[in-house]
Amino acid sequence: MKILVIEDDRKIAQALKKGLESEGYEIDVASTGSEGGDRAATRAFDLIVLDLMLPGRDGLEILTAVRGRGDATPVIILTAKDTIQDRVVGLDAGADDYLVKPFAFPELSARIRALLRRGAGGTTGPLVKLGLADLEMDAARREASRGGRALALTAREFDLLEYLLRNQGRVVTREMLAADVWKETRRATPLDNVIDVHIARLRKKIDEPFAVRLLHTVRGVGFILREESA
Amino acid sequence: MKPSASSVRLRLTLWYTSVLALIVLAFSLAVFLFVKDRLFRQFDRGITKEFAAVAIEVAEDAGDFGDIESPSMFEVFRGGVSIFRSASFRKAGLPESPGVPTAGIRTVRSGGGERFRLQAGPVKSDRFLVVAQDEEPVWNALHTLLAILYLALPIALLLAALGGYVLAGRLLAPVGAMARQAEKIGAESLSERLPVKNPDDEFGKLAAVFNQTLSRLQSAFERLQRFTADASHELRTPLAALRSVGEVALQEDLDVTAYRDRIGSMLEETSRLTNLVESLLVLTRADSGRLPMNRKPADIGALVGKAVEDLRVLAEERNQNLTADLPAGVLVSTDEGLLRQAVVNILDNAIKYTPPGGTIRVAMRGQPGVAGIEVVDSGPGIPADQRDKIFDRFYRVEKDRPRDAGGVGLGLAIAKWAVEANGGAIEVESREGQGSTFRIVLPK
Repeated sequence: MKILVIEDDRKIAQALKKGLESEGYEIDVASTGSEGGDRAATRAFDLIVLDLMLPGRDGLEILTAVRGRGDATPVIILTAKDTIQDRVVGLDAGADDYLVKPFAFPELSARIRALLRRGAGGTTGPLVKLGLADLEMDAARREASRGGRALALTAREFDLLEYLLRNQGRVVTREMLAADVWKETRRATPLDNVIDVHIARLRKKIDEPFAVRLLHTVRGVGFILREESA
Repeated sequence: MKPSASSVRLRLTLWYTSVLALIVLAFSLAVFLFVKDRLFRQFDRGITKEFAAVAIEVAEDAGDFGDIESPSMFEVFRGGVSIFRSASFRKAGLPESPGVPTAGIRTVRSGGGERFRLQAGPVKSDRFLVVAQDEEPVWNALHTLLAILYLALPIALLLAALGGYVLAGRLLAPVGAMARQAEKIGAESLSERLPVKNPDDEFGKLAAVFNQTLSRLQSAFERLQRFTADASHELRTPLAALRSVGEVALQEDLDVTAYRDRIGSMLEETSRLTNLVESLLVLTRADSGRLPMNRKPADIGALVGKAVEDLRVLAEERNQNLTADLPAGVLVSTDEGLLRQAVVNILDNAIKYTPPGGTIRVAMRGQPGVAGIEVVDSGPGIPADQRDKIFDRFYRVEKDRPRDAGGVGLGLAIAKWAVEANGGAIEVESREGQGSTFRIVLPK
């Protein structure tokens, strides 16, 4: 999978390159608008990560050019501009997603996965049977068990566990949880403590009685559900 | 500013002087006409009297008229022919009348250009008398009057203009003083005020209004300064933590887990910074009115209920008793996201400040036309002198509370703005030691 990253800040570009390469993508970085525009026009990519404020050529201009050619490569806009107006303009110009700086890398990674999945023609719908090690979940019947023992989860805890299971092996940030599990659209709402309490309770139910821990905290980033201990 | 002030002064003086000139001119004209009329009437009465006196003599005289004693000049006609002229009449050089003059009073000019007043009339049946008197003394008096007026008018006007100029200068002096004073007032000296000499006159009122504006500016400026100082402090603290954790980690030889831990710690500070910047941005946009609102009817009970359920776990962790009594079906036109943020922030605040084991009660108290949301806590309460300040940005009742214990002090500021943006108001009632009640009032 080849991804073009058009980003003029060298540190961010390098971080994205390293981070995405470690997830198995092939990364091409363009650090000016004109370079990025040329690269997008001459080579084929599976996805483009695009900064809006670029030297040389504006990101929106590049996006318009790409779409003008009838090129449907998924584009994620990455920018410090965060008003609803900016989002609307970006999405109207043909972007598939919009992420505001500062963003959490796991979130960008998740959105890239989602877009590539969608581009691949979509999978067979969300899985109903989920599991990790001896933890099992039937999302349709809203039942979960570990080691054959049923887990008594509240609705919120169930949603939380389902989300973690669907993203197992990957770090999930508090922002992602707030947006996807709590459906909180606004940033700057104090949900972090709420999320932490729910994670602690969930951990008590799915991990504490068992030998192998599955739910880990990645300090400063978020949480991860995986088998081996970190 | 100086030229414009003095031009007002000049304009005032000019106007004043012009109007005065018009009035004085009209007055002078009236005086002149009146005096002229009076003098001539008097003069004519004199000539009429004289005519009567001479007429008696002429009537009784035998025929030569030479011995008639009269200071007046006179001429006698008989049968249409001039038969006698007094010596003075001849001397005056009055024009000869072609035939008998008509009866009545009139003015004629002599050969020398002098004006004479003539009174003509019949005496007995065959005699016709003309009495003349020199009119020039009257004219001389009138000319003297005119001269006096001509001379006095400009002098009076000049004096008036001077006086007006001085007076206008005096009147306008406070404006100049205010301007000079206002010129000196800058961002550094906003505490200075304009002098108010007489608070009841126009300038005093102007200065008072100006001073009120200055007061508002001053307090706005002070708020901004405090806000900037607080904001930079709040921004610096996580930056300092980031920096020192990073620097110390680089100096140490650590294993991978320890480095991960340090990096995690740095990321925590980053997210604190991010949250702070987000909150500041919300408030900045709120200040500039650029935050888009999406108001539509929403069930307030359900909205508050969801916020309560979201935050319930926090209360449970602190063994607090969080109860909610929220009737459904109360519709208010509001931006749901904003209102939710306000409710969450207030609730979060109540949970934070209520001691473990305390109670928090959420209820709705509607009144006709308004919907009220009440959050009653059993926390320590807010001292009366701080009740207004708790909605200020970065304000904290307990100054020495550890940073980790709560947010940065923007929650209530955002809540207040969010409620006001929805057209509502936020009130707080509190008694020290007996908890606080936060009330959101929204117009239905």
